[in-house]
Formats: sequence, structure tokens, C-alpha cells
Amino acid sequence: MRNTDDARNMIKDGKVTERSLKEILALYDISVPRGIVVKSLPDRVDLKFPVVLKVSDPNILHKTDVGGVKVGISSYEELMNAFEEMSHKFSGKEFLIEEMVDTGVEVIIGILKDASFGQVIMLGMGGIYTELYHDVAFRLLPIDRYDAGEMIESVGIRRFVNGFRGRTISKPDLENLLLNISKMVEEIGPEIRQLDLNPVILSGSSAVVADAKLISDESD
Amino acid sequence: MLRDLFSPKAVAIIGASQDPAKIGNAILTNMMGSGYQGKILPVNPSSEEVMGLKCYPSIESLEETPELAVIALPASRTLDALKGCVRKGVKFVIVIAGGFSELGKEGKEREKQLLDVINGTGTRIIGPNTLGVYFPHSGVNTSLTSRGRLSFLPKGDIAFVSQSGALGLLTMDGVSEYQVGISAFLNLGNRIDLNEVELLDYFADDELSRSVVMYLESVPKGKEFFNKVKQISMKKPVVVLKSGRTQASAVAASLHTGAMASDDAIVNGAIAQAGAVRAYDETEMMDYGRALAYSGKLRGNRIAIITTAGGVGVITADYVSSNVNGVGMRLATLSDETKSRIREIIVPFASSNNPIDLTADGSNSDFDKVIGILEEEKEVDGIIAYPLPQTPKMGVEVVDVIDKYKKGPKPIIVGVLGSKIARDLIIEFEKRKIPAYPSVHRTVKAMKALYDYSTYMGRRGQ
Repeated sequence: MRNTDDARNMIKDGKVTERSLKEILALYDISVPRGIVVKSLPDRVDLKFPVVLKVSDPNILHKTDVGGVKVGISSYEELMNAFEEMSHKFSGKEFLIEEMVDTGVEVIIGILKDASFGQVIMLGMGGIYTELYHDVAFRLLPIDRYDAGEMIESVGIRRFVNGFRGRTISKPDLENLLLNISKMVEEIGPEIRQLDLNPVILSGSSAVVADAKLISDESD
Repeated sequence: MLRDLFSPKAVAIIGASQDPAKIGNAILTNMMGSGYQGKILPVNPSSEEVMGLKCYPSIESLEETPELAVIALPASRTLDALKGCVRKGVKFVIVIAGGFSELGKEGKEREKQLLDVINGTGTRIIGPNTLGVYFPHSGVNTSLTSRGRLSFLPKGDIAFVSQSGALGLLTMDGVSEYQVGISAFLNLGNRIDLNEVELLDYFADDELSRSVVMYLESVPKGKEFFNKVKQISMKKPVVVLKSGRTQASAVAASLHTGAMASDDAIVNGAIAQAGAVRAYDETEMMDYGRALAYSGKLRGNRIAIITTAGGVGVITADYVSSNVNGVGMRLATLSDETKSRIREIIVPFASSNNPIDLTADGSNSDFDKVIGILEEEKEVDGIIAYPLPQTPKMGVEVVDVIDKYKKGPKPIIVGVLGSKIARDLIIEFEKRKIPAYPSVHRTVKAMKALYDYSTYMGRRGQ
């Protein structure tokens, strides 16, 4: 990713791979895992195991649904096997190899364009039960630090601010993340129709976007 | 700019009628019976006099130009009447008739014709499809409900905007039991021209209004509306009752965020972000509107309760401090010094712990002394007081007692359970602009509304 103009055009197009999207996020000081995009497996990968292997194609949004994700690869040998299998299934495609994010509190941060309210930002507990609990908070964009703080306070995530079952998160750092996302959308993302950062893994002061999906106005 | 709508020097009623079956009759009757001091000008080509007033054949035949005109004619005859108002230079026209966009495509076309007529002119439309407006301070009352069916409220501090006319009138009738006052009521109907955003601007600077309560069924320009709410909530509290909570979202749900975005979840966030207080029914709306209009800021969430019935105190304590079927605030912990000062006042078997129970022996002067002590207790932010009817030593003088502390740093919310005496007491409190409610949960929730608004103001740096 060169600069925000490129990023803006890529978002507008809507045809953006997960890795490109993460590089766009990184322009706004949002942490993403280290990773590489390759066509064939190099002799050595300069990444810390375990890693995750994902098919990388701007047209495949829901990679898990088509068997395009393999997580928890703990050695180069395992990676070779997984890569061979995946190349077979998705011949001619590129692949993303990414460091796995350490465990932590999983949250979802999303953007949505509403006909009446314009773009809104959402924060909620992430992971597989997100849609079961519906423990989410919305605000209209852009948000300020007060809004970000109130979003955190109004969902179950607040319990982790003072530590819960051995896990603690930093409220100021999560606020910063929300503010950075707000800033990104305001500056380069007016065409974002939906954005899922899910999960974002929080641990102490670290907040890493493990997966990201984007739909723009021109996606279909 | 809207000043002339709220206090016009003359009001024309087009379609005014002697016939009690006509809405033009109900509107004229209300206009004549609400203390309006300006000129009332009936317009109807088929009469020379209506209800003792000279009647004019057309709006253009009036000798003067009224600031406000009401068109009480069917939709088919409304357009021509509106053209007359524009030619005459009338600033505000209330279009009563239904049969516009609420009836689909053809009606929408008729609505567009209304807009075309006023386009580029100085005339503004309220409505169509409205039950009218009621401004007690100027005596303007264009509502089309016949007197005797519903009560109209006295002059007061609450500005009330309702998207549903009938719900608005019924809500007013409901709180008329306690003689709650309002500064204005408007039913905007299909709001093709004058809308809530402009009204918020007006009420923000309106000295007669100390809070704004709104009932909304839809928010077509949500971003613009809530940006305006956010702007004015720093000056004046806004209460929003928004219905349609379980409506499905129109957003296609291809990602998680879309799947979780009900319209109401977004509305809820927007209300919080704008510093408005959300009400979930018409009772809460008016309860919160009163608490916010009448009270100063609550500096924290520590509540002291004074009661003359132990059970009422304990239920209130539950409601105050519980997160489930409660508001999740805190019961103030009184210092030893405060408790011993209270013990000197109350009878030996009464409780000096919070909730403070004066028992049925409690008197007006006990209330006075205990509130005085609580005012000095730094562990207390707000006071809930129950001067209850079963207490023989307590009378209407307790209203004077609580009124004394109204200007103090700690807001007092009053609860009076019971029937006739309770109602009479609440009316007396209402006259002094002290928020008082007939049940525990309404009393506590009003305190929470005050807390939410005060917290927002505090954190936003006011």
C-alpha cells in the first residue's frame, strides 16, 4: 500500500483482498498480523509459527464457507501439506500466510451504511456467538473519544476493562482503535457499505485485527 | 423566524363552520376557548357570521394578513385554499386534511402540488394530515378535537412534538390529571415542509420551554436530526420516544455487522450519542420531560431515600440499586455523623439508615430537618422523598418544605402513592415545578433519566 489515495480507490472499487484491506488499516495505526501473499510456497517463510493459510482473492469474500482457510499450522512441514491441498482446490489463486494472533478477548468492530443515518460504527463481543447475544452498540460516524468510551461501557466488553477471568483489556487503547477506524472511514471510506473486523483480538494494550471483510457501494 | 407561528396576531380559519359536525367548527371552538388574545378570522363563503364572529368569503377578502391560517377543508379543496394563503402572504398554514402521501402514490402527487405552491414564497406548511397545534402561552389552539372529550393542558415548561396527533392529544389528556403544563404542542402530520429539526432550533432558544419531548415513528433524515439533537441537548434536555422497535432492518445482511444492525439498535446509539433521553412509552416521555425541565443537575449516582412507609423505602432501594428491574444506581451510604443527627429527629423505632424511614409518625418538620441534613451530607447526590398520604402529621405544607430545597445542589424527586390525597399532593408539587410521581418505579426512573442527562452533560464538559 503506497498511500491513502490508493487505499481510497481500492475501497471504492470494493475488489480488495483481505491482505490489502489490512494494509489499508495499517495506514491508520491499526495493528494487523504479519503476513505474506504468495502464489507458490517459498523455501522458507519469515513468519512466527503457528500461522494461518487463506486463499487470497478479491472475489472470495467468505473464505471459510468455501474451505479456503486453514488455521493453527504449527510448522513448515504442516504448511507444505496445507499449501499443496489448498493449491489443488484453488488452482491459479494467490494465498495469504499470516501469523496467528495470540488469544485474548475477541470483539467485532463493524461499519455499516444506513439509508437514514449514513455510516455507523458497531462494537460488540466477537467470535462465533456474536449473533446469539446481540450485545452490540452503534454510533453515527464520526465518533469522538466520549462516544468511543460510551460504546465500550454499554456492552459486556466493559467487564474486561478491570479484568475478568484473568483477561484484561485497555479501555484507552480500544478507544484509540475505534477512533482510528472512524478517522479511516471519514477520510478514505465514504463508499464503505459494510466492513467487518471480526475478530479483533484484545489483550492488555494490544488490539489486532485477525480478520477483515469489506463490501463497498460498488461491490455488486 | 417561527415566532409568528407560536404567537400570531391574527389567525384565519378557512372552513370555519357553525355546524358542530364539521371540523371547522371544532377548530374555531378551540381557538375561541383557549384564551387567545389576537384576532380570530373565520373564512367561509357560505356564511356571513360564524359563532358570533364576522365571517369572510375568502382569505384574500380579509382586511389584514393573518400570520397563521388553518385550512379545515377536505384534501380536494385544500390546494386552492393554500394558493389563496400564498397570494395573501400568510406565513404559516396548517393543513388539516388527510389523503396525502399516507394514501400512496396519488396522495404523494397531491403533496407535491402543495409544495409547488409554496416553493419560492414566504409561506410555510404545517402538515398535511395533522390534528393541529396548541400553544397555551398564546392561547392558539387549532386542534380538531371537540372540547369535553379531551382536556388541554395549562401553561408550562415542556415543548411536545408528536408525529401521531391522537397519541399526542391522549398523552396530554392523561397528564392533565396532575395539571401538568406545556409550552407548546405540535402534531406535524406528514411534515412535508416544517419539520422537527427546525422546531428543535426554535425550542433551543425559546425561553418558555425548558425541555423538549418528541414522539417519533420514523426518522427519515436520521443523521441530520440527531446532529441537531446533539447540538441543542447541551442547552436543553430532549426526550425521544421512538416506536417501531422490532421492525426488521432494511439493510442486506451479508456480513455480521449488517446482521446485527436492527434499525432500533442504530436509533438507540444515535439517541445516546446525541445526549437525548430515551422513553419507551408515553408515560415515561412526559415523566422524563418533567423531571428534566424542573430539576438541576444530578452530580452523581448516590441516592438517599426518605419515606414514611418502610415498604415503599425498601422497594425503592431495590429499584435504585438493581440492574435487573431497576436502574443500576447506588444507594447512598450515610456517614455516622449524619445518621446520629437524623436519630435526634426521628422516633426511636424509625430508621436512620438509608432508606430513612420516618414511619407514620413523620411530620412536615421532620421532612424539613432530614432533607436539611442530607443536603449537607457529601455522600448523597440526589434525594427521593415520599410524603405519603397515610401519615397523619403530614399535610400539603410538605410541598412548601420541599420547595425550599428545590434550588439546592441536590435534586429532589417526589413520589406519592395512593389515590385522592396523593393526586392532590402531586398537583401541588406540579404547580411548584417539583417532579412528583404516583408510583415507585416512575419516581426512580425519573431520577435515572435525570442522572443520564446530567452524566452526559458532565462528560461533555458542561
